[in-house]
Amino acid sequence: MKAMIIDDEPPARRELRRLLADFSWIQIVGEAGNVSQAANMVESLSPQLLFLDIQMPGGSGFDLLARLEHLPQVIFTTAHDEHAVRAFEVNALDYLLKPIDPARLAAALARVKNAAAAGVLQPGAVLEQLFVRDGPQCWFVPLREVSLLTSEGNYVRLSWGNAHPLLGRALATLEPRLDPARFFRANRRQIINLDFVESVELGVSGRLHAQLRDGPEVEISRRQTRLFKLQRGI
Amino acid sequence: MNDFRQPVEQAKSHCLYWIFQFGGWGLFTLARISGAVTVTGLPWVHATLELLLLNGAGLGLSHWLRHFIRREHWSALDARKLIWRVIAAGFVLGTPLGILTWFTDIASLQDPGPLLQAYSPALRLQIAPAAGIALEIVNTAFVFILWQAIYFGALRVREHRSAQLKQSELARALQSAELRLLKSQLNPHFLFNALNTVRSLIADDPVRAQGAVTRLSNTLRYTLRSRQDELVTLSQELEIVSDYLELESMRFEDRLKVESNVASDAGSVRIPVMLVQTVVENAIKHGIADLPSGGLLRVSAQLKDGMLLLDVENPRAATPSRSAHEGVGLRNARERLKLLFGDRASLDLDLSKPAMATARLRIPQQR
Repeated sequence: MKAMIIDDEPPARRELRRLLADFSWIQIVGEAGNVSQAANMVESLSPQLLFLDIQMPGGSGFDLLARLEHLPQVIFTTAHDEHAVRAFEVNALDYLLKPIDPARLAAALARVKNAAAAGVLQPGAVLEQLFVRDGPQCWFVPLREVSLLTSEGNYVRLSWGNAHPLLGRALATLEPRLDPARFFRANRRQIINLDFVESVELGVSGRLHAQLRDGPEVEISRRQTRLFKLQRGI
Repeated sequence: MNDFRQPVEQAKSHCLYWIFQFGGWGLFTLARISGAVTVTGLPWVHATLELLLLNGAGLGLSHWLRHFIRREHWSALDARKLIWRVIAAGFVLGTPLGILTWFTDIASLQDPGPLLQAYSPALRLQIAPAAGIALEIVNTAFVFILWQAIYFGALRVREHRSAQLKQSELARALQSAELRLLKSQLNPHFLFNALNTVRSLIADDPVRAQGAVTRLSNTLRYTLRSRQDELVTLSQELEIVSDYLELESMRFEDRLKVESNVASDAGSVRIPVMLVQTVVENAIKHGIADLPSGGLLRVSAQLKDGMLLLDVENPRAATPSRSAHEGVGLRNARERLKLLFGDRASLDLDLSKPAMATARLRIPQQR
């Protein structure tokens, strides 16, 4: 499995590299000491796993995640910011406290292996999860749990359970990377998750209205209505 | 004592006061009733009625006395002044109640007869009423004096207890203040990163690892034993600062460079402990650590007109990615300076130059 170490302290990177030598299935493809260097390397090397420090010069580990197009799995490594990681609505794989306890590292890597076996880590063209930072809160959001994406100018509002975090990207740039079997463009402003569609009704204007589970009713535009009917064979 | 506890304490002591009042006067009444019935053979209904009247008046008077004692702040008086007042109050209240008692049938309890044996029967008859009244007055006065003795005794016990409570609360507050100081000085981010560096060096360079452990011990020992108001010489402080900087340069490697220029006569100036350390830590945390390529930290100190001038200069990010430049550490340092030197010392952070920060410390030389 391809992994990258991102930490601004060279001794810390060396130490982690040494600790990882015991795990032959982890292949370290690169190291970075700051956020912009890391962002470039992640895009070009596309690792499946990041060991990520939180406090770094020129931006934090969270800043890096918010910049990435392809989001690998993440294990945070930190000397003292475990509260920052825990405050997460986490589904980051794990966090490790420096100096790293080899037994804790082994446990974290076992979880990575399990996740890989479950197929979560399959890299593909389709976006599986998003890192979202909205104010003081951060989330890893699995896209299959998002019922609705609503464009708000250059941002996208996600409907994810009871949370409605704002993503710092435009809907148009996100759309091509969404799974077409799951997400459907309902109108100019909204994309719906078909798994969440409870019922579809025909309105008076000839447009369809999709009722989302635990969510609002979304109007499907005239052009998309035709497409929707075609796809669904209605 | 905390303000919110005051009403509860007051209600409690108020309740206790009435228990004592009714309990005391009640027992006294019962004792006198049984005395009157057995000794003088008075019908008990008669004795009870009279004693309820007399001791009821006694309770009323003593309650009024308490009001008076509190108004005049007798509890603040020293023992000698208090004793005369207690005796005087006993007689002032005892006189009317004593005279009243003499007119009741209870008076025969206090037969002055045996006291007057020495006098002739004629004289005895003449002075018997006066002696009887005097005896009643003395007796009743004694009751009020005893009442006051119990009252002031109880007051003293209560004061002692609340003083003890205050003492332990004070000790706790001091302890937590000390702990807060310790926590603010022991920077966990530095500590755990340093330990991580040591772990890495053990494999890379064992000799440097040993040196790092020594320096880390020095830094920790210095931090742990320092007190808020302690003064050390600048050279003592700079020794620890150099240990700290050495540890940080192991961590940051070529990202941290240090230049130090301290005039020899400045080394003996006494400064608050951990002050320069705090300023240097701030420069690393908000300056060097924030820059991908790091930079040069410059420490300079000189003595000028009896004033220590110490500057710590560091490059900083044009747009700080982390918190504001003025950290808690610097604010604490400034407060401590003000406590120890008033307006004669100062600590300023100069951010006027772009991408540069200079902390300027001014401390008067003590004689």
